[in-house]
Amino acid sequence: MVHSFNVRFCHWINVIASGYLLLSGIHIFLDFPELYWGHTGYQGYPAIFRLADWGLSWDEAGALGNRMWGRNYHFTFAWVFVINGLVYVAWNIARGHFRSALLPGRGDLTLTRLWSELGEHMRWPATSRPDEHYGSLQKISYLVLIFIIVPLMGLTGLAQSPGFTAAWPWLLDLFGGRQSARTLHSLGTVVFVLFVVIHVLEVMAVGAWTRFRAMTTGTRHFFRGEEI
Amino acid sequence: MSVTRRRLLSSAPVLGAALLGGCSRDAMVPPVVRGGLVGAADVLTMGLNRFLLRDQPLAREYRRADIAPNFPTWGQTNPKDDEYQQHLRERFANWRLPVSGLVERPTSLSLEDIRRLPARSQITAHVCEQGWSAIAQWTGAPLLRLLEAAGGVTADARYVVIDTVDGWYEGIDMFEVVHPQTIVAYSLNGQDLPVGNGAPVRLRVERQCGYKNLKFLKSIQVVDSMVGFGKGTGGINSDWGFHWYGGV
Repeated sequence: MVHSFNVRFCHWINVIASGYLLLSGIHIFLDFPELYWGHTGYQGYPAIFRLADWGLSWDEAGALGNRMWGRNYHFTFAWVFVINGLVYVAWNIARGHFRSALLPGRGDLTLTRLWSELGEHMRWPATSRPDEHYGSLQKISYLVLIFIIVPLMGLTGLAQSPGFTAAWPWLLDLFGGRQSARTLHSLGTVVFVLFVVIHVLEVMAVGAWTRFRAMTTGTRHFFRGEEI
Repeated sequence: MSVTRRRLLSSAPVLGAALLGGCSRDAMVPPVVRGGLVGAADVLTMGLNRFLLRDQPLAREYRRADIAPNFPTWGQTNPKDDEYQQHLRERFANWRLPVSGLVERPTSLSLEDIRRLPARSQITAHVCEQGWSAIAQWTGAPLLRLLEAAGGVTADARYVVIDTVDGWYEGIDMFEVVHPQTIVAYSLNGQDLPVGNGAPVRLRVERQCGYKNLKFLKSIQVVDSMVGFGKGTGGINSDWGFHWYGGV
């Protein structure tokens, strides 16, 4: 598959932005390594997740995390992520990319089709070459990520801010409280990391170098009829 | 009790600053803009916040049933300062809070003076930048009332600098100063403010993170510039490297 300039450009900006978001988010979390549900949550209040239960004590986590660095870079790369994401979405709507490349077509969503694709994805290395189109599972996971997970990460992030929630108090009602939003934001991080792990494994399965080059230069190279 | 329109209007110099603040550069950017991408993001974050908050909405106020069982204490919980310990022993009977700088009549207020000012009670969430939050009822006098007790601020007032007993300080801009929920609180959940929470009075800035909500107030100064305070960035937290605007 040959990727357009927009897809390639936004993809790599996104790698940098989400990399920093993940790293800085972990720093912020380590400084207060417990999760709660509702409006209230503090050390000593009933928690639904405590890192201490998983072997890393409060003090050990605090020594690893730097919330000042974390906050500075989290909010900086949140802006990079948002602006890059808006450019990506606007550009692709204008070019009809979502409809032509990502919207599942007739026949894409049959059970037999999804089942056989799942089987193909399980092979290592992949036995089939990537063709000119995204597979059904690919289309579904990209669309869920772009239009459901990412907006939820943005809103659960804003719902933790005293400034944004003064302007938009519905954010607190939407997630059932600031601490619920923080917990969902952390869960969303886990979903995002799982996405990245599967995404990178898939790329490696079909050929890391050709896929990396396709996402960078947008060109394909053939030798004796085989893509290299 | 909220600030009525007439009460606000009666404080013409402060209101002038607030109206200007609503659309001027002051309300949109921190006293010192950091360099690089982080500084650019600071301006975007604060500018967007202040644009969304331009009509000065109140932070969410909760029901009595939402109040947290034990409001946490964090950071300084009992300043070692001799003078402070003396005031504590005297139950703050001889404690005074100076209000000076760009005000018409510099003054100093006793705890009783502050208690006699029109009070405001609010059940709000304290949002610590660490990640914790807890709901409590705070009662106190709006910061604006304390400034009025000093005759109101002059036309060139831009920041209110709060100093604390334990050496912290923060500059609060006029946009936040005129907000009805910005109070100097002397009561937590209906009781005298406990030492661990900043007795005798602490600042409540409900639309910003915990680090702007200073405890153990020592003095209030109205200034036109943050130059000369610490590193000049506008507060001790921004001197350390945090974003001066604590709304996120």
